[in-house]
Amino acid sequence: MTTPSRLRIAGGTVYDPANGVDGAVRDVCIEGERIVAELPAGVPRLDVRGMVVMPGGVDIHAHVAGSSVNHARRLLPEEHAADPAPAPQLADGPPARSGTGGTVPSTFATGYRYAGLGYTTAMEAAVAPLAARHAHAELDDTPIIDSGFYVLLGNDDYLLRQIAAGETARARDYAGWLLGVTRAYAIKIVNPGGVAVWKGGDGNGSRNVNGLDDAVGSSAVTPRKILETLAGAANALALPHPVHIHCNNLGQPGNFATTLESMRALAGQRAHFTHLQFHSYAGERGKGWRSAAKDVIEYVNGHAELSVDVGQVMFGSATTVTADGPVEHLLYTSSGRKWVNVDIELETGCGIVPYAYRERAAVAALQWAVGLELFLLAKDPWRVVLSTDHPNGGTFLSYPELIRLLMDRAYRDERLKAVNQKLLAGSTLLDGLAREYTLGEIAIVTRAGPARLLGLSRKGHLGPGADADVTVYAPDTDRAKMFAAPRYVIKGGTIVVEEGQLRRASAGARLAVRPDYDVAVTKDVKRFFDDYASVAFENYGAQ
Amino acid sequence: MSAAARTVEHVTCLGCGCACDDITVVVQRGRVTEAQQACALGTAWFGDGQVPDAVRIRGRADTLERALAEAAQLLADAKGPLVYLAGDISCEVQRDAVAIADRLKGAIDSLAGTAAAGVLAAQRRGRAGATLGELRQRADLVVFWGVDPGARYPRYNTRYAVEPVGLAVPAGRQGRRVIAVDVGDARGPADADGRVAIPPDAELDALGAMRAMVQGRAVPPDGPFGTAIALVQEMTKARYVAVVADAEPGPSPSDPDRAEALIALSQALNGPTRCALSTLRGGGNRSGADAVLTWQTGFPFAVDFGRGYPTYRPHAGAAERLAAGEVDAALVIGAPATLPDSVAGRLAGVATIAIGPRASAAGWKPVVAVDTGVAGIHEGGTAFRMDDVPLPLRPAFDGADVRSAAATVRALRERLEGAA
Ligand code: SF4
Ligand SMILES: [Zn+2]
Repeated sequence: MTTPSRLRIAGGTVYDPANGVDGAVRDVCIEGERIVAELPAGVPRLDVRGMVVMPGGVDIHAHVAGSSVNHARRLLPEEHAADPAPAPQLADGPPARSGTGGTVPSTFATGYRYAGLGYTTAMEAAVAPLAARHAHAELDDTPIIDSGFYVLLGNDDYLLRQIAAGETARARDYAGWLLGVTRAYAIKIVNPGGVAVWKGGDGNGSRNVNGLDDAVGSSAVTPRKILETLAGAANALALPHPVHIHCNNLGQPGNFATTLESMRALAGQRAHFTHLQFHSYAGERGKGWRSAAKDVIEYVNGHAELSVDVGQVMFGSATTVTADGPVEHLLYTSSGRKWVNVDIELETGCGIVPYAYRERAAVAALQWAVGLELFLLAKDPWRVVLSTDHPNGGTFLSYPELIRLLMDRAYRDERLKAVNQKLLAGSTLLDGLAREYTLGEIAIVTRAGPARLLGLSRKGHLGPGADADVTVYAPDTDRAKMFAAPRYVIKGGTIVVEEGQLRRASAGARLAVRPDYDVAVTKDVKRFFDDYASVAFENYGAQ
Repeated sequence: MSAAARTVEHVTCLGCGCACDDITVVVQRGRVTEAQQACALGTAWFGDGQVPDAVRIRGRADTLERALAEAAQLLADAKGPLVYLAGDISCEVQRDAVAIADRLKGAIDSLAGTAAAGVLAAQRRGRAGATLGELRQRADLVVFWGVDPGARYPRYNTRYAVEPVGLAVPAGRQGRRVIAVDVGDARGPADADGRVAIPPDAELDALGAMRAMVQGRAVPPDGPFGTAIALVQEMTKARYVAVVADAEPGPSPSDPDRAEALIALSQALNGPTRCALSTLRGGGNRSGADAVLTWQTGFPFAVDFGRGYPTYRPHAGAAERLAAGEVDAALVIGAPATLPDSVAGRLAGVATIAIGPRASAAGWKPVVAVDTGVAGIHEGGTAFRMDDVPLPLRPAFDGADVRSAAATVRALRERLEGAA
């Protein structure tokens, strides 16, 4: 069928947790690009009796577009050669595009593959403001999904200067200006202060910060101050999504203490802590690692103002790509793999190391277990949502397998037996965590929850007025199979996946904020640009 | 045409990969009369802003409509079509051009292929790099490896690595030490603070010895690489080292393995100190072609869509394909004058379509030639600096009388896509 402007998705079993619907048989009505409460009899119907209907998936944290991602693509010709992506045969509209996959697919393949998985929204999690124009161009070439990005601010030299001078209000206005001028969606912090120290070529021997109160250049600037300033700014600017935080000490044994301290530093304020799995380890460097998932998730459970995504590690190929330059340097020296580092002027860094997580490797097995513990011990799925930090912990194509691990205890226990047990002592997973996620809970952690955390009021639910982003799955006891190949995906009212085949590729929309701020700040920023920047103030951003 | 001067500020120059975005262009009576701040190369790149406005089929003036129809026909009938991204086009045009190659199941290559050795080395090893502005903020030691940017990248030193003040280098030039490494005839800047001479046939061994030294292996300081060892010792003591090398082929051939050895050395220096390798690249938005091809196909140059998806043929780029007689129709988008000889010299025997600035003047006699404006002078869009920083283009002419490359290439794309 072509896409009708009115459509009744009839007779499916609907999971719409935002509207309290948990597996009820009912129709979902679409008119144009939105969900409506009712349609007259006789409109075109899509008969989905016996199938599972959910809102389109919403990815709260993935690396899919922009200069760092493109550096990663350029680094991986062998992966692209091994995973060709011929153009899908579409039913109508302009011809589709071919591309390549691997852990960091080309832009068109990224859009098609997300849609093929039932995802209709994805947020690019780390864009240097200097390269915002590049990120937008790539997102323009990423079909179907609605998208936006988080702009990197946690190591920004202008911002750090304001913090050093105690100019909190100016820091807030700067953040407001930067979000608007780059057309970003949220503020991202990566290893607050640590990247600045790495770039500065000084600091302690590790060329990084180790704790919340380490000095970053000036003693008035610390990771703690950066967190407080930007969390405060995001909340004062009334951004739909709070500050999005990648903590210090990613991937280090014992880092859970830093993670908890960071959470306590922002007590009472809204904040999102990303890829929590990578920040939930006990132990000491050189003396072994242990899971600290329980300590960390218990804190999250008790603090309703906090939200997290898990950043699950999945066995197989991955590419680590992050603004956290010092971490990637560490991974390069320990793994001996190829390594890209790009220091980005006045703003941030970028590091890339291709990687693989193996079941037989002790640390990878621990990371896998820690992620699952976080999921299984989480009390409130609305605040503990699904991610693999694509492509860092695994690609978005591994989400169905992750869903199976969450929903199917027997399968999980079987997989647990196959992994290296060396570092699993103390993991609650060994105690036999019995929990199995329900379909309703999966709908929360993959769409309703992320949409709510992002403040996307028209996403992640199927109530009247919502965007007509709908995914229909054929039930299968093998949940990985079920979620890997939805039967229908409707994006903004267009049927993009039909009978399991990608048939249409509409363009996605851009999600961006434009907060109010005191424009007086721009005079001072321009002065800073004139003194230090290598691009003109007038040419900056992506407007 | 108004006699009053028109001034456009913050214009980005694509004369070389520096992509200086501080140019003020003055237009009087329809001509560029000034490009303030531009170097001589940049001034020449802006020229007077006059471009021919011809549409020709087999040398005869014709309509755009017929030219596009003829071009579409030629391409659709070709068995081995090649799309080539020449210089002076925006990323927006490049994006449409890749779509055309995809549609044709043809090959596509670009001016970025001139730096193939460095790209391939970085694909094997990765790289330790930085944006140019970060070198300005940080570098207290700048090592020019067999290159003096003065000739081909004239404002590199004044705008980026050497002279300007930076956050960690408040004294600017005074706060930095500049070393010239002369590799045979390929000499570093004349006004360097120190010089090291390395014979071309010893270059790789010297780089290897330097890296070994950084990695803590014993290298005799009085052996054959004494000066190189002294240099690397100085490098390890600096706070942040910039190593600058030319990624474009120079007048004298350089060791094909130099790129990889420089990457390996600069990576190893991140440990004892911080180090970034800055590879100089030419102008015309060739870095944009590299970026666009990478994001659309996964590969930076020399891509073949022949199987219905992109495959990488880094050793069978445009020049090699043309030489092997595998190309029966070529679509060259961009300024023919920017083509490397290895491509331009082999186009004469092929049915070609040229769309771009001064296309009608192409020496290889295109079957179809459509003149357009120059990205950054007559039309806007995005271009990438040599360090992958994207910049907006601010055309001094609003393009009223000049045919737009973007619109022309889009029209050709639509024609080819409609012909499904
Ligand atoms: S240095 Fe290069 S970009 Fe800058 S003005 Fe000269 S030619 Fe143009
Ligand atoms: Zn991430």
